[in-house]
Amino acid sequence: MTWKIGTGIEAKGGDGSVTTDRLRVVIVGGGTAGWMAGAALTRLVSGRCSVRLIESEAIGVVGVGEATLPHIRAFNERLGIAEADFMARTRATFKLGIEFRDWGRIGDSYIHPFGTFGRGSGPIDFHHYWTRLAREGHAPPPLDRLSYACALARAGRFDHPGRDREDLFSTFGYAYQFDALLFAPYLRQLAEEVGAVRTEGMVVNVERDGESGLIRAVTLADGERVEGDLFIDCSGFRSLLLGQTLEEPFEDWSKWLPTDRAVAMPCRTETAVTPYTSAIAMPAGWRWRIPLQHRTGNGYVYASDFIGDDEAARALEQAVEGEPLASPRLLRFKAGRRRRSWVGNCVAIGLASGFLEPLESTSIYLVQQAITALIELFPERGMAASDRDEFNRIIDLEYDRIRDFLILHYHATTRDDSPFWNYVRTMPIPDSLAEKMELWRRRARVVKYREGVFLDASWIAVYLGQGILPEGWDPRADVARADALTRAVADLQAEIDADIGARPDHRAFLQRYCPMVEAA
Amino acid sequence: MTARAITRVLVAGGGLTGWCAAAALKRRAPFLDVTLLATAIAPDALADRIACTLPSLPGFQADLGLGEDDGVTRAGAGYRLGTRFAGWAEGLPDYVHAYGSYGHAIGPAAFHLHWVRAAREGSTTPFDGFSPAAQAARAGRFVPPTPDTLFAAHDYGLTLDLDRHRAMMRAFALHVGVRETVGEIAEAACDARGFLSGIRLTGGETLAADLYVDATGPAARLRGAIDTERQDWSAWLPCDRVLLGSRQAGEGPPVLTPVTAHAAGWHWSSGEQVGIAYASAHLSDAQAAAMLAADGATPDRPVTIHPGTRPQPWRGNCVAIGDAATQVEPLEWCNLHLALSAIDRLVAMLPDADMAPVERADFNRQTLAEAERVRDFLAAHYRTARRPEPMWQAVARAAPPVSLAHTLAQFAERGRLPFYEEETFARDSWAAILLGQGVLPRRVDPLAETMSFAELRGMMDRFTNAIAAALPRLPAHAEWRAAQMRRLAR
Repeated sequence: MTWKIGTGIEAKGGDGSVTTDRLRVVIVGGGTAGWMAGAALTRLVSGRCSVRLIESEAIGVVGVGEATLPHIRAFNERLGIAEADFMARTRATFKLGIEFRDWGRIGDSYIHPFGTFGRGSGPIDFHHYWTRLAREGHAPPPLDRLSYACALARAGRFDHPGRDREDLFSTFGYAYQFDALLFAPYLRQLAEEVGAVRTEGMVVNVERDGESGLIRAVTLADGERVEGDLFIDCSGFRSLLLGQTLEEPFEDWSKWLPTDRAVAMPCRTETAVTPYTSAIAMPAGWRWRIPLQHRTGNGYVYASDFIGDDEAARALEQAVEGEPLASPRLLRFKAGRRRRSWVGNCVAIGLASGFLEPLESTSIYLVQQAITALIELFPERGMAASDRDEFNRIIDLEYDRIRDFLILHYHATTRDDSPFWNYVRTMPIPDSLAEKMELWRRRARVVKYREGVFLDASWIAVYLGQGILPEGWDPRADVARADALTRAVADLQAEIDADIGARPDHRAFLQRYCPMVEAA
Repeated sequence: MTARAITRVLVAGGGLTGWCAAAALKRRAPFLDVTLLATAIAPDALADRIACTLPSLPGFQADLGLGEDDGVTRAGAGYRLGTRFAGWAEGLPDYVHAYGSYGHAIGPAAFHLHWVRAAREGSTTPFDGFSPAAQAARAGRFVPPTPDTLFAAHDYGLTLDLDRHRAMMRAFALHVGVRETVGEIAEAACDARGFLSGIRLTGGETLAADLYVDATGPAARLRGAIDTERQDWSAWLPCDRVLLGSRQAGEGPPVLTPVTAHAAGWHWSSGEQVGIAYASAHLSDAQAAAMLAADGATPDRPVTIHPGTRPQPWRGNCVAIGDAATQVEPLEWCNLHLALSAIDRLVAMLPDADMAPVERADFNRQTLAEAERVRDFLAAHYRTARRPEPMWQAVARAAPPVSLAHTLAQFAERGRLPFYEEETFARDSWAAILLGQGVLPRRVDPLAETMSFAELRGMMDRFTNAIAAALPRLPAHAEWRAAQMRRLAR
């Protein structure tokens, strides 16, 4: 059987030609986003592009994104990064989830785990049984005692998950907490090894083609002109190319996510190195606590309409649990995103494309998804519109899903102890979130997605952790007798506890597996 | 049990669809009191009348606890590994859409992207040459998915003996506690809120329930009493008639179902059942009947179909499933599939007595998204077909739905197949159709160029050689079926 392929329909591209020469990629801005992009492009599509990264030591790196989501492991794996080496050099710790304190009401604490509740299988999700037991007055154990990931986190232990899907020990994933200021140089080395070129300099001018509007070149402070075919804007909040030059409008989400500042201050680790990040609600926002091997990152994310900068800094200083290692540093931002992330021949990645507060550690995740999408849709010089449209469709979906999930944390509360909490508790929310919450409230339903971040278990953790106990549940969960269910739940808890007792302490595991490398 | 729980469910429709719904509801939610009103099967209820199925039916049966012995062998069904399309793109050979993987991903790129690169370099092995299931099917052989072999990553559909299959599903449903009432619907009464308040049968008897499931076919005898809102898809799916026929089939149903395009539609043969789908403006009913007769079949009466869907299959306390919700021509055998998927969704989303609008909306959102992507998949067959006749020319010119336009643009540019929620067909299925009909992406994806071409060719050759070496060891489809029968008879 032979047939000639050439007879197929030939789609015409932008300029009708098939170009195969290498694209000159210019990345403007180093930092986490810039070097993640630089390393990924040089490692994964080096045949199609040359990479030049322009950064200036005079411009600070935001680098608050120290806590990650489990997706980062796939990124590292694709780049051939060895876990223990990477963790040692970025002084990383393991992260099994996020602890939320004082969110639903003061005194509450729950963990959003990177894992499932119950055994993670069966025709009916575990939380329906749990809801039934709770509603019928059988007082089941707290939900986070019934998740392997939560229980392991609470116990301060860690081990790599097992592979046997029948085994509880396989029902969790993990991410890292690392020093973002060390991650960027680590990636820089990877990128430079395979040909990325770094240029020290400050972009002072952007040159555009009069007809097409495409960016042709950037000029540096020392007068050097750098031409490119594809420009990646990793300039952070300034959004030098996408925002300032191309003037892509910013979609403002601050009515739903009113925090607009953060004050950050690392401290010595004087308590346990928890295998989880903490997010502790505060009178005008929340405070992060991210334990690394050598220090603990702290910060207070707040809404400047509700608290002054000095007061926020003082509140942070009072709250940190160890000796401060620096004075408080202020960051300003606004929740939202550029309407499109890819315009013409400019792709913004990271803060240059938008900002969502670090409540669920999504900053590095969004960078990673943008890079993955860019690689899958790597353009030619002609910049086909279809590549851009698909990229923007993917990024929109990611932002929208994360946005609703973040808003839920603020809105699902009974707190009325400060004007900030009164505002977020009563503010109008997007319809898409209102529907999700009603489905949950009525009968413990979680809207299902196959693609995107934050699947069922994440939503369940926050709903129940913040005190929204559904009124109903899946009627099929009524088939079993309540006493049989209660026994099954007790058995599950005992099995989890017994297994966890045999796992190593988190700090001991780190010391054996990836002790940190001292600065050179 | 919550106070607002529903108990009484009435499923209307005496065909396979209705029995599947009743059996699943009772089996998986045994606290329900499920009655099936066994109305006569409507001639245009294609979900009840088409013998070929997708792999969803064996999966649905397995979830009920119906294994292969009862659900396939004793019901007299044959296995299907896919469909062979002939005559859809002039100048190109036929191609196979098999229910399984084509090649395997190499590095970060899906196999079809590597195939595009090889094709651009002059390789002439068709895409289905890299599908073990397609090659087994072309050779008339069958093997169930077998872990750790070349034949691990496929599923199979069935070719049903419809009467026996319905009888099997009915027996199962009655066994698990479904009650059967026989009768015909005279009228479904609808109250001011748009809820059904009861059904009157032609004999005068009335039936009432908390939840009504309408499996009566396109007439939607229950759901249609609430409203008749629908989306029309006829601009993209040109066939408005289906004519079924039957004939003696000595060899039993084929493991690979042939679907051949003709001037005004397409025809197929699945053993005893043969059929023709056509656009009545371009082919008369008499001409269609003559075509079937020439093939040695006895034609039935033609039925009219109106391609389209109800945007809200669930309104009030009534859920339409199968052709009562969505009508499509039987191309790719989706009619029963959409019904089974809706049944699964209904079981997972059982309402309470409030019939909350937000829960219905979620059901309808998912169901509509699924139906629209099935529409896109079917419409892609026509949009990318290449035939000179007026019907084909007209449908190839019609602007496709937005979501299909996006898929086709992405594929034409670089072979990308964008992800949609609720998609029925895997990326390899889309690739099989588009590449099979000669849609060659304009450029090779950079991710497919991470190795040398010589290396790629070596891997591809090894793969086809491995398939060729494995094929003779597989049993012929008829042998496999006979062996299953012998095992049961022992």
